[in-house]
Amino acid sequence: MSTQLKHKDEELDAEVSGHSAAARTITVAVAGNPNSGKSTLINAIAGTRLHVGNWAGVTVEKKEAFFEFGGRKIRLVDLPGTYSLSPYSQEEIVARDYLVHERPDLIINVVDATNLERNLYLTVQIMELGIPVVMALNIYDEAAEKGYRIDDKAMEEMLGIAVVPTSATKKTGLDELLATALRVADTPKQRAPKKLNYGEDIEVACDYLAKSFRSSYPALIDHYPQRWLLLKLMEQDSHVMKELGLDNLDFLDQALHHLRRAHGEDIESIMADARYSLASGLTHEVLHKPELRQTELTERIDKVVLNRFLGIPIFMGAMWLLFKLTFDLSAPFGKWIGAMTDGPFKRWASAILTPLGAPDWTVSLVNDGVIAGVGSVLVFVPVIFAMMFFITFLEGSGYMARAAFVMDRTMHSIGLHGKSFIPMLLGFGCNVPGIYATRTLENPKDKVLTALLVPLMSCGARLPVYVLFVGIFFPKNSSTVIWSLYIMGILLAVGMGLVFKQTLFRGEAPMFIMELPPYRMPSLHSLCVHTWEKGKHFLFKAGTYIFAVSVLVWFLLNLPWGVEHKRDSYLGQAGAAIAPIFQPVGFGNWEAASSLITGVIAKEIVVGTMGEIYAPKKDEKKDVPTLQEDLKEVATSFGAACVTAAKTLLYLPQAEEKEEDQGGLKVAILGAFTPLSAYAFMAFVLLYMPCVVAIAAMRQEFGTWKWAGVGLFYQTALAWTAALIIYQGGRLLGLGG
Amino acid sequence: MNLAKLKPGQKGKITSIGSIGPLKRRLMDMGVLVGEDVKVLKVAPLGDPIEVSIKSYNLSLRKKEAEGIAVEVAG
Repeated sequence: MSTQLKHKDEELDAEVSGHSAAARTITVAVAGNPNSGKSTLINAIAGTRLHVGNWAGVTVEKKEAFFEFGGRKIRLVDLPGTYSLSPYSQEEIVARDYLVHERPDLIINVVDATNLERNLYLTVQIMELGIPVVMALNIYDEAAEKGYRIDDKAMEEMLGIAVVPTSATKKTGLDELLATALRVADTPKQRAPKKLNYGEDIEVACDYLAKSFRSSYPALIDHYPQRWLLLKLMEQDSHVMKELGLDNLDFLDQALHHLRRAHGEDIESIMADARYSLASGLTHEVLHKPELRQTELTERIDKVVLNRFLGIPIFMGAMWLLFKLTFDLSAPFGKWIGAMTDGPFKRWASAILTPLGAPDWTVSLVNDGVIAGVGSVLVFVPVIFAMMFFITFLEGSGYMARAAFVMDRTMHSIGLHGKSFIPMLLGFGCNVPGIYATRTLENPKDKVLTALLVPLMSCGARLPVYVLFVGIFFPKNSSTVIWSLYIMGILLAVGMGLVFKQTLFRGEAPMFIMELPPYRMPSLHSLCVHTWEKGKHFLFKAGTYIFAVSVLVWFLLNLPWGVEHKRDSYLGQAGAAIAPIFQPVGFGNWEAASSLITGVIAKEIVVGTMGEIYAPKKDEKKDVPTLQEDLKEVATSFGAACVTAAKTLLYLPQAEEKEEDQGGLKVAILGAFTPLSAYAFMAFVLLYMPCVVAIAAMRQEFGTWKWAGVGLFYQTALAWTAALIIYQGGRLLGLGG
Repeated sequence: MNLAKLKPGQKGKITSIGSIGPLKRRLMDMGVLVGEDVKVLKVAPLGDPIEVSIKSYNLSLRKKEAEGIAVEVAG
């Protein structure tokens, strides 16, 4: 932008903030350290108006909200939580690129009042950008309880920015924060934060650089915030240098020469020192801590929770509870949704469509395609909600960091992060919440790698397949055989982890360096908002893909309309077409291949499809319940689901479910498989491409198809190879074909 | 002496940071600076990582990451 243009911009700015100010949307970026209560603050301000997505091209979550306050339109943009604005992590680059290039009207800097110095280090860097800043001095209540006294007026004076004490969990100070933000945004002239003095040596070098740079690159200096640009140049910030296409600047070396000699350190250290000195100095001036320090609650809890002997048992207990709560609590509701879409909803659809003269295929499309598709999305909602709720609780309470601390040794030995354990564990219940749980990992490398390995954990949906086959072929060693499949998944995850480390994720291993925040009770409101955000996101974003695939499978299964034999349906034809691929691995028949195709929706559907193919049920005339009976069933079965969930919580015994009669199916499978090919088939079901829901989850979490695609291809290749080794190896060993 | 070798309860003053690149920057961003007081609080049950107190907050890091941080043991 030329100087002239910039002037025009300022004039326009002044004009806008005058009479027509109310019409303008004010863009407010929210920045702050992780654990500063930033999410809670945003949830408290924007609530359910938040939209969750991804920053373009990266696996970093973006939250945004549009709302009105004081008659003004506000656009709130949540920046990733960062400790600094260095060029090394994706989060930091996303945050600074947004601030530099999008230039929001204002930055709300959320600062943890109980951890002032380290939080102010980021504030100092944010102020370099020259954008108006309002500080939310958050967790103020806790600081006051500890006896901290913070002179916020002195802080305002020294930094030249407005400071508003807040408590996001108690929802205090939030209106004042927004009101202050509006006021600052509307006061054009004196709204830039103060230029802080970084010490004589740095300032001299900076002035020298400003002159040389202005004469050599006049255009650049107008395009960027000047102070920020000069400091980044001095730091030789790799990201900025690359963006500007600059390297080896003679005058930069000259400017830094004296500085380096005087300090005997590299420039990055000198700058970090200068910024921290400012943060320390300021903290010293404004913060008065009580003389006597009590043993804090966090210290006392950690004595037990991180104890050498108790640490691991407590961790295991916490994980068991997490797993139990996530799956057992949500299961009755998932089943209820499944039963509702399968029963009453389909009956109602038929009751509406049939009298209208809709042809059979339309009724079937609506029932078995559309409603079944919606159902397959909805059944996941309870488990996603439950998982998000408990994971967010673990994070917000501070235990997540401890879990990572306890588990890191083990997980790091296979190239993962301590926090990878939880997604993997949840994967055994269902891969989908496992994949969503990778959001607790900060580093994108750790996050993606973990998500790629989660589907190797044998989830609950594979179990019905194992149970069916083991019951037929290995009735005497059933549990050993099933265990061997679980172990196979874990071992292959370890192996694939090492392979990925050497290939796709080569380069420096992500760091661990992590804050252990004080234990805090997360606010219920924030937990619910967060859970709702993610649940909604899953429902509408991931749900679209899942729904589409379900409808597609209906077409495969039922077209051409009216086929007598399943072999003649498109599904049967597709199965027959790909069956030769499975010849070398022991199950090269169209029946198995077709069921693997439908198993893509959810792996347990393999069993259902086999049932339909091998032992089609005759249409039985059942008594069709009346609408009243149906409505009653909807309500009573929901009540029953609540009771079951409550019983689960209290560990009361529950009625066993009746097994379906699968006699015909068993005979057919006995004829089509041998024990060896059955085992190869089970291994294939365990390993081949993740189900559609898991793929949609990956697509949604990472904002790109790339990693979902990688997962799909590597797993299918792995499954085929493993099945080949099992089948052919078994034959060589004389285990029969 | 480096930070990874300190026992729980031991305090020290950081004399130099030998790590390079992103690791060094990250450490500095977290307040691990020359001249800073640091105290080892805990070692994880399996022996790694460690927890230290610095700039009046608690930080955990792997021993490998702590090895590059030279300290002068105090008291």
